[in-house]
Amino acid sequence: MSLTLIVVLVVVLALFFDFTNGFHDTANAMATPIATGALKPRPAVALAAALNLVGAFLSTAVAQTISGGLIRGEGDHVSITPPLVLAGLVGAITWNLLTWLWGVPSSSSHALFGGLIGATIVGTWDAGSIDYHVLLGKIVIPALLSPVVAGLVAYSSTKLAYFATRRRDGRADGRSGFRYGQIFSSSLVALSHGTNDAQKTMGVITLLLISAGLQPAGEAGPQWWVILACALAIATGTYTGGWRIIRTLGKGLTEVKPAQGFAAETSTAATILASSHLGFALSTTQVASGSVIGSGLGRSDGHVKWGTAGRIALGWLLTLPVAAIVGGATASIARLGTAGLIIDLVIAVVVIVIVFRINARRRVTSAHMTPHAEAEVADATVALEFTRPGDEAAAVASPAGSAGAADREARP
Amino acid sequence: MIDWFSFLEVLVAAWLGASVVVGLYALGLRLLAVSGNVPFVPPVEFDEAITVLTPKQVRKETKRARKASERNPYSPGVKLLARIGAYVLFGLAALVVLYGIYLIVPYFHS
Repeated sequence: MSLTLIVVLVVVLALFFDFTNGFHDTANAMATPIATGALKPRPAVALAAALNLVGAFLSTAVAQTISGGLIRGEGDHVSITPPLVLAGLVGAITWNLLTWLWGVPSSSSHALFGGLIGATIVGTWDAGSIDYHVLLGKIVIPALLSPVVAGLVAYSSTKLAYFATRRRDGRADGRSGFRYGQIFSSSLVALSHGTNDAQKTMGVITLLLISAGLQPAGEAGPQWWVILACALAIATGTYTGGWRIIRTLGKGLTEVKPAQGFAAETSTAATILASSHLGFALSTTQVASGSVIGSGLGRSDGHVKWGTAGRIALGWLLTLPVAAIVGGATASIARLGTAGLIIDLVIAVVVIVIVFRINARRRVTSAHMTPHAEAEVADATVALEFTRPGDEAAAVASPAGSAGAADREARP
Repeated sequence: MIDWFSFLEVLVAAWLGASVVVGLYALGLRLLAVSGNVPFVPPVEFDEAITVLTPKQVRKETKRARKASERNPYSPGVKLLARIGAYVLFGLAALVVLYGIYLIVPYFHS
């Protein structure tokens, strides 16, 4: 297979990954405003898509971390080759689609890094081809710390929001006014998501162009058409919307009230923007989940469903290794040469088709946010549960069941 | 391994940014209440929404907010000041956000 054809194929696959990244992560910005009723689902995802598009043009610090540091090169030579990038992307896409199907807000970035790392190690038969200092310092440790940072910030902001609006005489406190604020704070999250996540695919495509010798290794910045294509792909993905994950984040973790949603969104945006500025490629998803949990703890009558939180954390732990294994396996097939590459592509297409077919059978759309909505009241003191109308057992999900039970609840 | 200084910088910057924005907006709402304009913003209605208020609850909450607005011990002057203060605080919150965006866009600094 000619190099140009491979490069074109990998770019297409990378853009598809960017698309899955978009719909996987719509929830980060829009789960909480949809949950509190600050925004309707359709306008919410449209807003998120537009701001992702804008955000993608704003900064390229993260893209340069990826194309410039993670995979070790000697002078102008880089050890990663286009087939390996392809293998890494297959790993990343596979894991992203599976977690979306399960409704787990896992990190698209870790899926991407995992896939690339696995592919590079297998492809070069050299565990030294990865710069572990960059891996640990720029990816693994920030991944462990970022949800904690976001959680702490969200906890304190939630306390602050409630403290500042508390009325001791028991009269209406006007906290529903946070709904207007939420429109802006969630927009800011979407914008910051664009500055962070769209960068990752730009970084990968740039890495590919460097490895194919189409761009000098000295220039780590992405080219303009790469920025444009990635921005469009992530915006389209965002607009498509991953309702399964929106449900998990919007009601699976804790019941979200407007003041709390505003605090969580502002904390998410502040954390992402601050770290994006410093070139930490942290996971937007983990930050958003951390914020939602932190804000749930910050509200005095808030409850966090730790079962769901644990399930999400498990998803996070698995993301990097599983994507690495898939990426490694794909890379070992790619070693067969042209035939191997074709097999890889066929596998990728089959996985994509299967996941979308399962999704179509157990559809979750904006109209499936919760069955039996009228039974649920905003002022309920317990976190909301799923109920299935007409079912012999009305209450399906245990407090912990939201993430895992997503598929079951979806069916009419 | 990890640049702990940068990490601390992220933590402090995020905490400061979020606290300032949330604090300003929340105080703005507070002042709005002092000015005799307790907002009640019902959740938008859409199919299978997560937060749902029945029309009866919306009426009740609207009435509660109106009552809180009417039973307001402050003088008209204080109310006016509070109202102006509220909008100033909302404006400041927006400015802080814009400044944050300004900071992270390299284009403005090159």
